Amino acid sequence: MKEGFFRPREYHRPNNLQEATWLLSSFGKRAKLIAGGTDLLVNKPPEVECLIDVASLDLNYIRKDGDGIRIGAATTLDLIERSPMFSAGPYVVLSEAAGNMATPTVRNMATIGGNICNASPAADLSLALMVLDSTVKIYGLGGSRVLPIGAFFEDVNKTALAEDELLVEIHIPMSPGGTGASFLKLRHHQTAIDLAVVNVATRLTCSDDFCEDARIALGAVAKRPIYAEKAKRLLTGKRLDGKLIQEAAEIASKEAKPIDDVRGSARYRRRMIAVLVKRALELSITRCET
Amino acid sequence: MTKRDINICVNGKWCELAVEPYETLLDILRNRLGLTGTKSGCAKGECGACTVNIDGKAILSCLTLAVQVDGKEILTIEGLPKGAELHPLQESFVKHSAVQCGYCTPGMIMNAKALLNHNSNPSEKEVRKTLSSNLCRCTGYERPVKAILEAARIMRGKDER
Repeated sequence: MKEGFFRPREYHRPNNLQEATWLLSSFGKRAKLIAGGTDLLVNKPPEVECLIDVASLDLNYIRKDGDGIRIGAATTLDLIERSPMFSAGPYVVLSEAAGNMATPTVRNMATIGGNICNASPAADLSLALMVLDSTVKIYGLGGSRVLPIGAFFEDVNKTALAEDELLVEIHIPMSPGGTGASFLKLRHHQTAIDLAVVNVATRLTCSDDFCEDARIALGAVAKRPIYAEKAKRLLTGKRLDGKLIQEAAEIASKEAKPIDDVRGSARYRRRMIAVLVKRALELSITRCET
Repeated sequence: MTKRDINICVNGKWCELAVEPYETLLDILRNRLGLTGTKSGCAKGECGACTVNIDGKAILSCLTLAVQVDGKEILTIEGLPKGAELHPLQESFVKHSAVQCGYCTPGMIMNAKALLNHNSNPSEKEVRKTLSSNLCRCTGYERPVKAILEAARIMRGKDER
């Protein structure tokens, strides 16, 4: 990393996406997008010479359409937390994740796009979006493309975005009836600002105690947020009871590949994944009935 | 290109400033406008001491660039009193001894102000949730919570009259 202070010389506020991608491509690695600023102005990367503000790109919206819900990348987390769109059904999982991200004041500023594009393995919203089978719309010099959210994360702080590209929208498809979802987060001191030691989102589609479909997403246990695929396969098509849920939670904890760091040991994280997955699945089941 | 001209309304007064792209709103308020009521604590969005209101919403001035607030209305703790008369939130903090070392107080009050802007009758739980944005190592939060609830009550009374 370049030594020195955060001293960008230029600030641009493009009025449309073409202008934004043109700026991104011409400045390359020396440019950085700014939305809420709650990651950028904490990290203050010294190599940044040009700031590109997304404020005038009209990316602050939550809209319902025929096949789901669309969220503009610059929508702040307080709006997602309070939106009636995410107050019922499996979609509450997104409101829960947003409402557990940092403090209320940070949520007034931080955006959903920023939370995803920072690509922290512990990002709260990523997990909720993953269990909802969301897709992300990316805009670049070559036009736009759509990716499943699971394919968007490549490594720690690394996404599938090319240098000229930006995230513009997140799409959440409609879930079938009888679907419930939930989000749980374990913090070190359980204060609002803490990042997750581990975090978990689950979604279940049930009919008469049978699990028709399942999603389990795990955070802070790998280089990127991951799906617990084996646990999902165990649950799918089976009758849901305490024993099966316990077994799925144990399998999910084996799928986790955590590390030791300041927030917790790998061993503790693996144990806590089992606890959180079990609780999240139980909560999701209770929500399937409503 | 380095400096940019911005127009901001601070505590009801419009001012024009030339700012560097990396200067934060907190830098501008304290160092250029002399409004030192807004405090710098952690400078990374964790403590809430630098909280101000932008267009009525609680915002961390340490994580906001001055260039981003061009054209916006900013309210700081200095803008709360009407002449010599303290704002009900300030009065209530004094009455309840909700201030100890006082460093977190302006941030807490500005956060409470934003809460009361859109919710004139918050529950204790809502007040506590709001104050989770503000780190305070002295008061244990009991008195600030009481002070905010009472200020809300007093402000509602005034509106009804």
